[in-house]
Amino acid sequence: MRILVVEDDVETADYICSSLAAEGHVALHAADGKEGYLHALDNDFDAMVIDRMLPKLDGLSLVKSIRIADVRAPIIILSAMGGLNDRVEGLEAGADDYLVKPFAFSELHARLSALMRRPPMQTEETLMKVADLELDLVRHSVSRAGQQITLQPREYRLLVYMLRNAGKVLTRTMLLEGVWDFHFDPHTNVVETHISRLRNKIDKPFETSLLHTVRGAGYSLHD
Amino acid sequence: MRLSLQFAFLYAILSAVMFFGAYWMTDREVRDWIEDQMRSDAAAFQRVYDGGGQSALVNRIAALSEFSFENERIYQLRGQDGAHLAGTVIDADAARAGEHVFLPVASVNAGSALSSEVSGYWTRADRIGPFWLIQGTGDHVIAEVLEALSIALVAGYILVISAGLIIGQFVGIRTERRIGSIIKTLEEVARGSLARRIPAADGDRDDLSRVSGAVNAMLGQLETLLESQRQIATDIAHDLRTPLQRLRQRLEHMQRATTGEDEDLAAALSETETVIATFHALLRIAQIEAGTQQSHFVPVDLGRLARDVVEIYQPVAEDEGQALTATIPDGAVGMHGDPALLSQLMSNLIENAIRHCPAGAALELALEEGAKGPVLSMSDDGPGIPADEMSKVFRRFYRVEKSRTTEGHGLGLPLVKAICTLHDARVSLSSNAPGLKVTVTFAKDAAA
Repeated sequence: MRILVVEDDVETADYICSSLAAEGHVALHAADGKEGYLHALDNDFDAMVIDRMLPKLDGLSLVKSIRIADVRAPIIILSAMGGLNDRVEGLEAGADDYLVKPFAFSELHARLSALMRRPPMQTEETLMKVADLELDLVRHSVSRAGQQITLQPREYRLLVYMLRNAGKVLTRTMLLEGVWDFHFDPHTNVVETHISRLRNKIDKPFETSLLHTVRGAGYSLHD
Repeated sequence: MRLSLQFAFLYAILSAVMFFGAYWMTDREVRDWIEDQMRSDAAAFQRVYDGGGQSALVNRIAALSEFSFENERIYQLRGQDGAHLAGTVIDADAARAGEHVFLPVASVNAGSALSSEVSGYWTRADRIGPFWLIQGTGDHVIAEVLEALSIALVAGYILVISAGLIIGQFVGIRTERRIGSIIKTLEEVARGSLARRIPAADGDRDDLSRVSGAVNAMLGQLETLLESQRQIATDIAHDLRTPLQRLRQRLEHMQRATTGEDEDLAAALSETETVIATFHALLRIAQIEAGTQQSHFVPVDLGRLARDVVEIYQPVAEDEGQALTATIPDGAVGMHGDPALLSQLMSNLIENAIRHCPAGAALELALEEGAKGPVLSMSDDGPGIPADEMSKVFRRFYRVEKSRTTEGHGLGLPLVKAICTLHDARVSLSSNAPGLKVTVTFAKDAAA
């Protein structure tokens, strides 16, 4: 994958680029907004990571300009700590996701992967499947290996989100934001608790596990 | 208001005493004047008798009785034996009884000329030579004078009392309004709107405006002080962002470079996470307190939000052996606000209860439509907080002594308070006997 990183702090940029390279991606670094804009237009990137605060052309304006130029590659905005409106403003400008600094690289990588392999959203399937686990969005029913599974609404919501992102690594914060609309870090084991409840119903009674814990990163639903 | 009524009452009593005094004195003066007149008349008759003898006196009295207008004045001349000689026939016995006697009209035979306005006569008996002169003055004059005086006094009384009431009321309302505005300002400041000042009163600089000025100066000082204190925390957090990002990157880098598990490294990373989370919360509080978020307010269904948050935390509480329940009205509980912050507010309250309560505790999040707006409350039957520490838990980094061992950065409740202030809501702690109850009272349609 080819990824554009627009970040003015050299050390952070180096870290992101080298980490991406270690994961097998090709990363290109731009140090300011203008340079980033030129690269974004010239090259065909699979995704872009853009800092919100940039010299010459700030991150939000850069995202807007890129979208106006009809470049559709997914964009992740990096915002500063405590930024209250950064998420909303970033999404309004045309970004696809946002991440608060300082972040763990695993978090950035999981979000990039989720965006890059995002299926076309228009064709929403009504029947979702991973191995022998099936979920019918119309009938609100879940079954595994032909057995009906009764889920609480909160477990159902979590499973829908995980099936939509099947095969991808989902971090704690991705789940908090995507499933529960929590845009803050809870101090209790909210995610762990819900995952274990879901696991008890869809995995435990069966021989193989589908809901996997990815060490140091998050969770993933796959066979 | 009460003071002005009390003044008006005192005023009324004093005026009444004064007016009755005036009435009584006038009454006496008029009587003295009538008495003087009758005495000088008697002296004049004495001179007539001295000059012309009995016939002259009889003629004069007869003539005067004839022409006396409206019978205001009556005269009778009697012989030594008391027999009627001239003038109006007056009840002899009654007249003789004393020098000043009041005789009702019935005892006076003045004929058809009697005025209907005269109800009686003040009489006086004098000796003139061997005769008795009885003379009387109708009480009509006294009545007229006193009536005129009464009208003037009553009218004056009413005027004085109503003027007193109106002025008292005006001064009272004005003072009350200004004291009210001082109290309102101080309450708003207490709720966190530190920029509020007491509006200057138009007109002269009186005691109240001097008090207002002093309070405003103090509020200014307070605001500057709190602002600089807040700024220090924000500045530190701000300046440490890049170093923290780099620190974390290096730790991660090291972790990836080492093969296998390095516990120290993992612990260092985890500590870094804690530092970052604390700074993040600090900066967030500072941003919320800046208040710019209100421009992002949208209509929110607080009931739905509360149900969702409770649903998320129910299994968490269950795993701790606690029971989390919700008492939320079925319909929508609408208000204006920031949904993300409001759900963080509820999460913080619930997590606070979960963390500080032992297994077996009952936790309840309740929402109701109060008279002034939605009221959200979080109650538990856990250990609670000592009354003297209740006001302190909203301070940043404050930890109740016995909870120092439980994890958390001490910014949960300050964040709750900041979110409440942003939404024009009041947050208060009370004892749930046993346990703690946190109540958030929203103002009706805040910032709408």
